[in-house]
Amino acid sequence: MSAFGDFVREVREALRQEDSRYSVRQVAGRIGVQPSYLSKVERGDVGPPSEATIVKLAEELGEDPDVMLALAGKVSSDLLEVIRKRPRLFAELIREMKDMPDRAVLRLVREVRDGDW
Amino acid sequence: MIELKKDTLVFSFPEVHPDAVLRVSFQRTFRIPDDGKNYPLPPGFGNFPLRHVDDFAERVPESWLERGGVMFPMYQSEALWLLFSDRGVHWRTESHYPFAVKVAAGKINAVTGKPWDDGLNRRPQDYLVTPRQPWLDGFCVKKGVIRQFVAMPLGAGYSAEEQLTGAAEYGGLQIVAYPMKREAYERFKRGVEHADSFTALRAVPTAAKFSLGLAPGGRMKQKIYDDQFEFEDWDLEHSSRCFVHTVNSLVWRQITGEAPPTVPLTAKQYDKAGLPWFDLYDDGVQALEGGEALKGLKSVKELGEEKGDVPLPENESVAAENVKMLRHGLKKDQVREGRF
Repeated sequence: MSAFGDFVREVREALRQEDSRYSVRQVAGRIGVQPSYLSKVERGDVGPPSEATIVKLAEELGEDPDVMLALAGKVSSDLLEVIRKRPRLFAELIREMKDMPDRAVLRLVREVRDGDW
Repeated sequence: MIELKKDTLVFSFPEVHPDAVLRVSFQRTFRIPDDGKNYPLPPGFGNFPLRHVDDFAERVPESWLERGGVMFPMYQSEALWLLFSDRGVHWRTESHYPFAVKVAAGKINAVTGKPWDDGLNRRPQDYLVTPRQPWLDGFCVKKGVIRQFVAMPLGAGYSAEEQLTGAAEYGGLQIVAYPMKREAYERFKRGVEHADSFTALRAVPTAAKFSLGLAPGGRMKQKIYDDQFEFEDWDLEHSSRCFVHTVNSLVWRQITGEAPPTVPLTAKQYDKAGLPWFDLYDDGVQALEGGEALKGLKSVKELGEEKGDVPLPENESVAAENVKMLRHGLKKDQVREGRF
């Protein structure tokens, strides 16, 4: 059993209740993997798939890709790249904000700067 | 406050009202022919990519950093229109918060032709009112007629700014938005019928050397609507403004490292393919007269002829007969029409 696999199965099965196109076979087909592989992922018999596959799966299931990546123990490579470019800045920012409530974090917006004209 | 999200400027005033949100984006389009005919509305080919000038501070002219704001690339000879919307491209009855928006090109007001000032003026009206005004395609040269915003190099003498001030100082576009006062909005919201819904989607399936100015191009049928509200309804204490720099696409990659969008279709190619133009059914709505100063502007073609230039080749007239009519005031859930 794995958190990632359980999540995928739960979401996919809920969709399949409403729409038969969400069988393992059909979803696997649309994201470009073997049905048997997707089945193993759901059962936790193999580890989570690659970032690219998780992103396709998220889109297919209507779920947020960053949430699914996190469940798979991963972080989106574009985010990692951002941190790698300015590691000290972002590491400090994230550590500072780690206990902030959601609302406070979301209030940190980037405004378009108006200058002198 | 203004945020830049997905190539769109998002103006919000949470301190006035949570619904006070306006989105402004710049839509790519082709140049309509400058042949004396009044053309219907061309489509949009998607948003111009918008970037903070601060993100490329080392590569943009110092003056741009002084002015702040954002920038986007245009090919010389490309055209644009501004799209005003709230959540997506559709206005929703329940929360289409009214805004008074002033737009200038090279700090020349696109409605009146007067030099920029930060305030709102009613007589003559120098602003647009959204949501009734869904878009702006150019300079208001006559009641019901605009001359399209066309990009020309700043310094070549074609932009409205250069024609009216003699100087090539600013280029780009300038925008300021004023929300309606909270109390006025609450009154307005109560009075609005739920059947009134409007959608306006015009999309198609799918430093001084860097700077461009906007010049008057071909003529297009478009009304700038009279403000239907009381002037006192506008919240003059709250506003946000933004300088939008227009950059030559040829140097966009040098500045940002990104490829600019591909060159758009010409009007001739578009029309030959039988693709639709658009018209907005708005006979009942009062429109503003063109700005006095703007009436005297020479189009790029006219000026080019005077200078002995051919600044914009490919200016053949097109038939533009396939025109889709868009209507205000569709009933809720009624099948939507779009400028696409």
